[in-house]
Amino acid sequence: MLENASDFLELFKSFPVSISVLLVVPIALLSGHGSPVMAAHEFPVFRMQQFDLQQTLKGSRSSLVNMEARPLTADMLTRRCVVTRLSDLTIERFKEAIQTLGAGAMLILLPKNTSLTSLEQMQEWQQLERDLLTLEVPVAVYFAYEDKELAEIYEDIKTAINTDQAGSAFEALLGVASTSGHQMVVNVGEAKEIKDITITSLQGRLAGMGVDEQLPTIGVVTHYDTFGVAPSLAFGSDDNGSGVVALLELARLFSRLYADSRMQAKYNLVFFLSGGGKFNYQGTKRWLEENLDNPETSVLSEVDFVLCLDSISNTDNLFLHVSKPPKEGTPAFELVKVAEAFFKEINFSMIHKKINLAEETLSWEHERFSLHTQRLPAGTLSHYAEPTVLGRSSIFDVRNAHSDQKLERNIGFIAEVLVRHIFNLTTKGYPRNMKVFSGSMAIDSHFVKTWMDYLGGQARGAQLFNKNHPFLSGLEQSLAKFVKEVKKFSAKADRRDPEFMFYDKPETTMFAYRVKPAIFDLFLAVGIASYLGLFYLAVMVSLKLIKTLC
Amino acid sequence: MTLFHFGNCIALAYFPYFIVYKCSGLSEYSAFWRCVKAGATYLVTQLSKEFLKSTVDIADLVGLHLVMTRIARKGELKVLVAGVGWGTMELAVTRVVPLWVGARGVEFDWKYIQMSFDANVSLIQYISTATLVWLWSRNDLQKSLLPIVMVFMVLTCYRPLLIEVLSHALGIQSWSLLLLNTFVTGSIGIVALQLYLTLATDEEARS
Repeated sequence: MLENASDFLELFKSFPVSISVLLVVPIALLSGHGSPVMAAHEFPVFRMQQFDLQQTLKGSRSSLVNMEARPLTADMLTRRCVVTRLSDLTIERFKEAIQTLGAGAMLILLPKNTSLTSLEQMQEWQQLERDLLTLEVPVAVYFAYEDKELAEIYEDIKTAINTDQAGSAFEALLGVASTSGHQMVVNVGEAKEIKDITITSLQGRLAGMGVDEQLPTIGVVTHYDTFGVAPSLAFGSDDNGSGVVALLELARLFSRLYADSRMQAKYNLVFFLSGGGKFNYQGTKRWLEENLDNPETSVLSEVDFVLCLDSISNTDNLFLHVSKPPKEGTPAFELVKVAEAFFKEINFSMIHKKINLAEETLSWEHERFSLHTQRLPAGTLSHYAEPTVLGRSSIFDVRNAHSDQKLERNIGFIAEVLVRHIFNLTTKGYPRNMKVFSGSMAIDSHFVKTWMDYLGGQARGAQLFNKNHPFLSGLEQSLAKFVKEVKKFSAKADRRDPEFMFYDKPETTMFAYRVKPAIFDLFLAVGIASYLGLFYLAVMVSLKLIKTLC
Repeated sequence: MTLFHFGNCIALAYFPYFIVYKCSGLSEYSAFWRCVKAGATYLVTQLSKEFLKSTVDIADLVGLHLVMTRIARKGELKVLVAGVGWGTMELAVTRVVPLWVGARGVEFDWKYIQMSFDANVSLIQYISTATLVWLWSRNDLQKSLLPIVMVFMVLTCYRPLLIEVLSHALGIQSWSLLLLNTFVTGSIGIVALQLYLTLATDEEARS
């Protein structure tokens, strides 16, 4: 040992060049082959809903994935990540994979373009989405738009013969050598509850002519948040982008009307953009409580009617859902009468449905007002006849420019009915079919289209918005352009007994690594050992040969 | 895009040259051929630059020769010490880091196995290069064999370039590229061994 050391030192003495080697090595290390690029595929994924509403836990309760991918058809799924196309998935198989077979995670591939999907297929997907949302899933469930690489991975895992699928050991060996598995990884940490989450709502008002407190009030209310199996995929164009656009356009139209003091009606108009509409109308609830607690500043003191808007950009039907039919002689009754008499292209009718207090959540937004201690007269306008119909609260409710015309017509209808009511035009003998909002006062198609485009590109799950989110600031500024006294209302969950609880990581990145199972390395080690043995023999034999030849 | 666009680009690039040539009075001195000559010199310079770049690898041969002149041992020992020592260091410097970073990663790729095989090929290559250099430095080498030794020494220098050109031209990659590399290196190795054996048997006969 010491001999070797002195040899080594001798080298440095007699061979000063070797010192320069010490300088060269780091340079060579840096400039050499360098580190190879990791060839993993990375793609955005959208996590399934996770929330607690009134102490019921819903959705996917985890966000961690570090497992090998398997197709849905595999028999062995324990601690594996199931990768499946949405069209191959059924709710029974989902439950079986997670609950019986113990799958560790699931990645569901969504088609990129759904515009050509048949109606039956769409309904099947929406039913599946609805069913998934009734579950509490202990593992991570992610959605991703299928791209070329993901399609390849999907085909790979479908055809691959994995160690736990192969018939014999030899088949398995061949399988692992020729194909490779895929390790799916999301390592952003476990999803945590969002502390101090607020649900923000916006209120604005157009004051009528006369003594403020004594004037009757008409409320227009609509919720801006959306819902779907994944909050970051919920673009909700019809439900309820159409309601938001209608409210903004109504605010614009009536603000122009009220700008002229001769055109001011003896009516206050209150506009309310509510948050948390998909979580049992939390924003509206908070707003009502606030108004009840502060009667001197309340904007809801002399309410004639509160009109809630929910999904109004489709079909030729418009239903006014009420919990109690308005009595004859009340302003609400007059309003409905005006609506029924107006516009022949729209099949307007009233649907009466009592509030079912046994149900977990309210069906329509107006029920919040009907449950209010003052029993505010209210109704929800929607083209849906049923609250539970498929298509509402779905990630497949995406922007469809063809529906703009119907939305504009419906906004016009609402505006005409409201203007007839607040100016009492019908009894004054104003012609039934003559439009007030026409010419320079007409509905602005460009305004409607721009807002629908914007909302259609903005995922609006309630958990995505903190108090100062740019989307809310933008909405506040837009509303403030038309109406006065724009105010923000924040609803916070109670600390000890929270009514609602949201969780983070709605959207993250997943990595797919090409991998081989551990057994493969063992086979490889055996292969390398035999190669080295052969190499040893070859060197020995050739050296002996050379010796004998010399 | 279009031929017209190409024309536009060419005009933008070359018309200033033409204008300078015309306006500076160069045309009056009938300096056209001189300009052409200057251009030709540019081409020659670029070509020799490229050639010199590949020739830098000859420094490897000089290095190996230096190593062997400092080892006062028998011929075969010299060659093996130089080849193995040189190759081991090359392995340590150029391959350990990529293997450490890449092969430990989650992602599986055959290229690390190939890289390791390639290191074996390098061992053969360095031993044969050392043999050739040693042969060249011997005075008792038959004069008729010297050109062969020279040719193969040059070949070892340009081997990486040769393999790169072949792989590009024939579209060879991954395992086939490794096979090609092994084949070329093996051929050089067998020739080197053959030459070494000739010299060794000559020596044996003389003694």
